[in-house]
Amino acid sequence: MTVVDHNTIELSPRISEAAPADYIALLKPRVMSLVIFTALVGLVIAPGHVHPVLAFTSILCIAVGAGASGALNMWYESDIDALMSRTANRPIPRGRVTRPEALTFGMTLAFFSVMTLGILVNWFAGGLLAFTIFFYVVVYTIGLKRWTAQNIVIGGAAGALPPVVAWVAATGSLSVEPLLLFLIIFFWTPPHFWALALFRNDDYARAGVPMLPVVAGPDATRLQILLYTIVLVAIATAPWPLGYFDAVYGVTSLVLGAGMLGFAINVYRHRVGSAALRATRKLFAFSILYLFGLFATLLLEVVVRALVPSIW
Amino acid sequence: MDDKRKPDGIVLTEAQLKSRRQRSVAIALALGVLVVLFFAVTLVKGPAVLVRPL
Repeated sequence: MTVVDHNTIELSPRISEAAPADYIALLKPRVMSLVIFTALVGLVIAPGHVHPVLAFTSILCIAVGAGASGALNMWYESDIDALMSRTANRPIPRGRVTRPEALTFGMTLAFFSVMTLGILVNWFAGGLLAFTIFFYVVVYTIGLKRWTAQNIVIGGAAGALPPVVAWVAATGSLSVEPLLLFLIIFFWTPPHFWALALFRNDDYARAGVPMLPVVAGPDATRLQILLYTIVLVAIATAPWPLGYFDAVYGVTSLVLGAGMLGFAINVYRHRVGSAALRATRKLFAFSILYLFGLFATLLLEVVVRALVPSIW
Repeated sequence: MDDKRKPDGIVLTEAQLKSRRQRSVAIALALGVLVVLFFAVTLVKGPAVLVRPL
C-alpha cells in the first residue's frame, strides 16, 4: 500500500484574476460597435415591419457573434499580438486571460449567438451568422492572414456580412440592397486597413504578418489604396443612379467620396517623412467617417421618412 | 477545537475572490438576459413561435 502525504505535494494552479472587463476586451468592442451600426442599417432599410423585440434580438445576436469572432481571433493570434505595440495590451499577451479560456469563451458565444438567432428569428440568418464567424476565424485568421498579402482583401468579406445577416433576419430572404451594402464595406476594407498597415509597418514586419506594405513595399501599397478607393467611390455611388438608394444618399456619397479620394491621392503623393505619415493617418481616420457617413445617411433617411412621411 | 485553524488546500487572495465574484455576476446577468429574451420573443410570436422558416 502506498501512503501519499498530501502536504508534500506542491500545488500551484493558475487562478484567474480576470475581471469581466478583460473578457469584454476580448470581444473587440470598437469593431463590435461598427458591426452593430452597419447591421442596424441593414435591418432598418429592409422592407416590411420587424417587431422591435425581434430587431433587438437580431442585432444582439449579430453583435455577440462578432464578439465571438474577436475572441477566437485573439485566441489564435496571441503570439503575434504580443509582438505588436498596437495589440500587446490585449488580455492574452498581458496574462489576464489564458488561450484556452479565450477559446472556450469565443466558442460559447459563437454557439449561443448562432443558435439564438436561428431559433428566435430564422435559420437563414443563423446560418449566415455561423458562416460569417467561420469565415473570419478559419478562412481569414487561420488561413489567410499569415499566408498572403491579399489577407484583408478576401477577409474583408467577413466584416461586410453583418448588414446582410441583419437584412436576412428581417426579411428571411436576400436582395440586391444588402449586397450593395456588402460591396461597399468589402471595397472599403483594403484602403482602410492598408492605411493602418502603412503607419504600423514595423509592427507587422516584426510579427511576420505579410501585410501588403511588408511584402510589396509602401509605394505599391499607396497605388493599391488609390485604385481600391476609386472602385469604392464608384460602387458606393452606383446605387443612386441605379435607383436603389435616393438622391440624398447619392449626393452624400459623392461629397464623402470626393473627400476619400482626396485623402487617397494625398497618400499616393506624399511618400516620405512626416507628411507621408500624416497623410496615411488622415486617410485612416477619414475612412471611418466615410463609412459611418454613408450608412448614417441611409439610416437617417428611413427615420425621417417614418417621422415625416410627407417629405417623400 | 481550534476555530482559527488554516483551511486545507488553495486559499484565494482577495483579488482572486473579487474577480471570481465579478465573473459570477456577469455570467448570471448574461443568463438572465437570455431567459428574458426567450420569454419576450415567445410572447411576441405567440403560437407562431414554433414556425421557423429556413
